[in-house]
Order: sequence, then C-alpha cells, then structure tokens
Amino acid sequence: MFDFRFYEIWRSQEFVQALIDGALTSFWLSSIGGCLGFCLGLMLAISQEKSVFWGIRYTARSYIELIRNTPFIVQLFFVAFGLPLLMDYQWSFYASALLAITLNFSAYFAEIVRSGIDSIDKGQIEASKALCLTKRETLMDIVLPQALVKVYPSLVSQFIFLFLTTGLVSEISIEDLTWAGRFISDRNFRDFEVFIVLTVMYMALAWLFKLLLQLLKRYAFPWAEAEI
Amino acid sequence: MNKENLAISISGMSKWYDDFKVLTDIDLSVTFGERIVICGPSGSGKSTLIRCLNHLEEHQKGSIVVDGIELYPGMKNPELVRRTVGMVFQSFNLFPHLTILENCILPQRRALKRSKEQAREVAMKFLERVKIPEQADKYPRQLSGGQQQRVAIARALCMEPKIMLFDEPTSALDPEMVSEVLDTMIELALSGITMLCVTHEMGFARKVADRVIFMDTGQIIESNAPETFFSQPKHPRAKEFLGQIL
Ligand SMILES: Nc1ncnc2c1ncn2[C@@H]1O[C@H](COP(=O)(O)OP(=O)(O)OP(=O)(O)O)[C@@H](O)[C@H]1O
Ligand SMILES: [Mg+2]
Repeated sequence: MFDFRFYEIWRSQEFVQALIDGALTSFWLSSIGGCLGFCLGLMLAISQEKSVFWGIRYTARSYIELIRNTPFIVQLFFVAFGLPLLMDYQWSFYASALLAITLNFSAYFAEIVRSGIDSIDKGQIEASKALCLTKRETLMDIVLPQALVKVYPSLVSQFIFLFLTTGLVSEISIEDLTWAGRFISDRNFRDFEVFIVLTVMYMALAWLFKLLLQLLKRYAFPWAEAEI
Repeated sequence: MNKENLAISISGMSKWYDDFKVLTDIDLSVTFGERIVICGPSGSGKSTLIRCLNHLEEHQKGSIVVDGIELYPGMKNPELVRRTVGMVFQSFNLFPHLTILENCILPQRRALKRSKEQAREVAMKFLERVKIPEQADKYPRQLSGGQQQRVAIARALCMEPKIMLFDEPTSALDPEMVSEVLDTMIELALSGITMLCVTHEMGFARKVADRVIFMDTGQIIESNAPETFFSQPKHPRAKEFLGQIL
C-alpha cells in the first residue's frame, strides 16, 4: 500500500505559506474576474437586443462565439504575450491573468443571461408596453431582474466550472493554487499528496463560492425568496 | 358625429399576419363613456382588434384614431396613445418581482414622472377601490387569481386612462373568483369610463354594456344593444354562438 506522507507538506513553513497564498490568489482572481466578467457579460447580453444597432449586435455575437470556441490557454497567452506586442506596452502578468479571466468568463455569462432574457414571458413585455414603459425601462426594470433570478443557478455552476479552469494562469507564472502545488511537488517529490491537498482546497474554495453566491442571491433578490 | 368627441374611431381597417387576413374592413366608433362588450368564437380576431387600439399590434389598412391620436404602422411614439388607454390581460401579467404596491408605482414613476409619494398615494387609492389595500406589500404569486386580476385593474387605473381595454379578464380564473373581478369591472363601468371588453360573461354584458359587438372571421357582423342582441340576434352565426354559450 502506498505510504502517504502529508507530513512532507506540513513540516515546511514555506510550503504551507505557498498553499495559503496560492488559494488567496485563486480566490481573488476568480472573484474580481467573476465580477468584471459578469458586468461585461451583462453588457454583451443586452447588446443582443433586437433594438440595438446591428453593428454592435454582431460584434458582440462574434466576440461570444470567438471566446466560447477557443481554449482558455490560447486566450491567456494572447492577452499575456500577443496583446502587449500589439499595443507596445507590457503590463504585469497578474493584470493579464485578470483580463483573460474577465474576457473568458464574460462570454459564458453573456450566453446564460441572454437565454434568461429570451425566456421571459412575452406577456411581461406587453404589459410594460401597455403601461408606457420605454424599451430600456422594460429591459432594466422588468425583464432583467426576472431573467437573472431565473438563470442564477446556471450562472453559479458556470462560475464554479470556470473557476476550476483558472489553474491555467500558473502557466504564465501567476502564483495561484495550482502553481503552489507544482512549487511544492518540485521540491518534496510527494506529487500524490500534493495532488490530494489541491483537490481538497479547490473543493473547499468552490464550496465557499457557492455559499457566498447563495448569500448574495438572498440579498440581491429578496423577492425570489419570499414565502408563498 | 364630430370625430373630436369620439373616444375611438375605426374605419375600413384591415390587418394581416403575413398572408393571413385577421381583420377585415372594421368600422367602429365609440363615444366617451360608452361601454362595449365584444364577443365571438375563438379565433375571430377579438384580441387582435383591441390590441390594435393601443398599438400592441399594427394594422395595415384603413384608419384608427384613439382619443384624437391617429395610429399608423411603424409610428414612433405609441406611448401617446398608451397613456390614455389602459389594458387588462387574460393572464394578469403582473410583475412577479415587484410587490403589489410597487407594481402600481413603477409605471407611474417611469411614464408619468410622478414623485414617489404621489405615486404611492394614487396606488393606494386604486388598491382601495379594488378592495385589496391590505395586500399592498405582498408579491403577486402570494395572491389568488381574482386578487391578481384586481391588482392588474388597479395598476392600469393608476395611469388614469380615459379608455380601458379588457381581453377576457375572467377566462383564466377559477369559477369562484370570477364574480369578484366582474364586480370590480361593473363598479368601474358605472363610474363612466370608456370601456371595451372582450368577454363571454353575458350577465356582465346585460348589466353594463351599451352595445354588444359580435365578431366572426375577422369581421364585425353584428352590433346592437344587449337586449336586442340576446333576444333577437340577426345573423345565423350569432344565433349559433349564443346557443353555445347561454
Ligand atoms: N402573432 C400571430 N401570428 C399569426 N397569427 C396570429 C397571431 N396572433 C393571432 N393570430 C391568428 O389570428 C386569428 C385571430 O386571433 P385572436 O387572438 O385575435 O382571436 P380571438 O378572437 O381573440 O380568439 P380567442 O377567443 O381564442 O382569444 C387567429 O386565427 C389566430 O390564430
Ligand atoms: Mg383572444
């Protein structure tokens, strides 16, 4: 039987610190990237309203297709290495990671929010029209709040899934949780133990995100929780 | 009659959905204060007709003038006419994410630019009128169907329309809730507002309608006072229809 020696991780102050810092980096990258990505996704979803100028509508559509049909690692490398060349300005890898995460998340969120908008009963829009609300007011006050609640579970699970893919940012030497794992196993050669610890820590973070997002829902959409 | 005094004046109006002609040469004049019941078999175009009156649907031929405002396809500001026309739908269409009070307040705030206090005052006035002020802070799904429909009526009235359109307001209700909504509508009718109501509630028609309009295959084929319409329908289709529902 394999002889587990987790002690080989715990005994080193440096390793423990790397894990903690890595987890924090992963947490913050996904949190901030998630928020920014959600805002951008919202705008992309709204851009696909029929009343929006067709140029913007098609640009948004193409962007979403582009992101959803290319691997994250390619997007990451493009933002980290390609874009700085094109713009002739080098920014930090952390900024690149955050930007890549934001751009990546936004396309997935946009698609989900869009499906929510499309699923709202036409009667709601007719009632809004009959009550003289403008298109913009109908979207912002009536359709969007309902759509967001409807797709909230899908947004949460998509976010968790995307969070789990962010380990790839370690490829551009971001010191996230995945990077910490590699850092440790390169030194103590206990790959299997490190792998197990990473699994547990990713699960714990995913669970934490779920909990936080559940609380956020209660705060943002109190009506969805009201008793019948 | 002088067109200026007409609430609604429709002449030679036709409407198509693609190739399918839903409404054919509709002529109809409604004076202010008049109460009209529209009935007819399913698919005869009743909903389409009243939805043309607040420009939820566009007509392709003829003219529609509502409260002095001419409606035409592709018109830029249908809000003008929607401001004087309130509408109540078969499926209530309350906003589920807003409380009853907020449902009544939001359109006033947005479309009429009323202050929060003023909108609230008006909302409470009409919620009292439909006899559910105590439900103001609940959400629509916490109310019965009959209560929801009365809220929908109050919400429309908050915009202080001159004309009210009803599209089968009681068809989606459980039988025991029909009368509470009809009572509200009768009270409203007696207050003197102009009303066009698509309904098969013939008791309601007898009680408040000045005129009953019978539609079949996109045409108005009979238009008469309720007593006359019910006792001596002229058209065989109307006879057949009355035979089925009475
Ligand atoms: N959006 C649409 N596109 C195409 N055809 C439509 C559309 N809406 C309605 N129709 C058709 O137009 C005709 C009239 O419909 P309408 O809803 O006005 O009838 P109605 O008299 O209100 O019937 P009901 O009693 O069933 O409500 C029907 O044959 C219907 O199938
Ligand atoms: Mg109908």
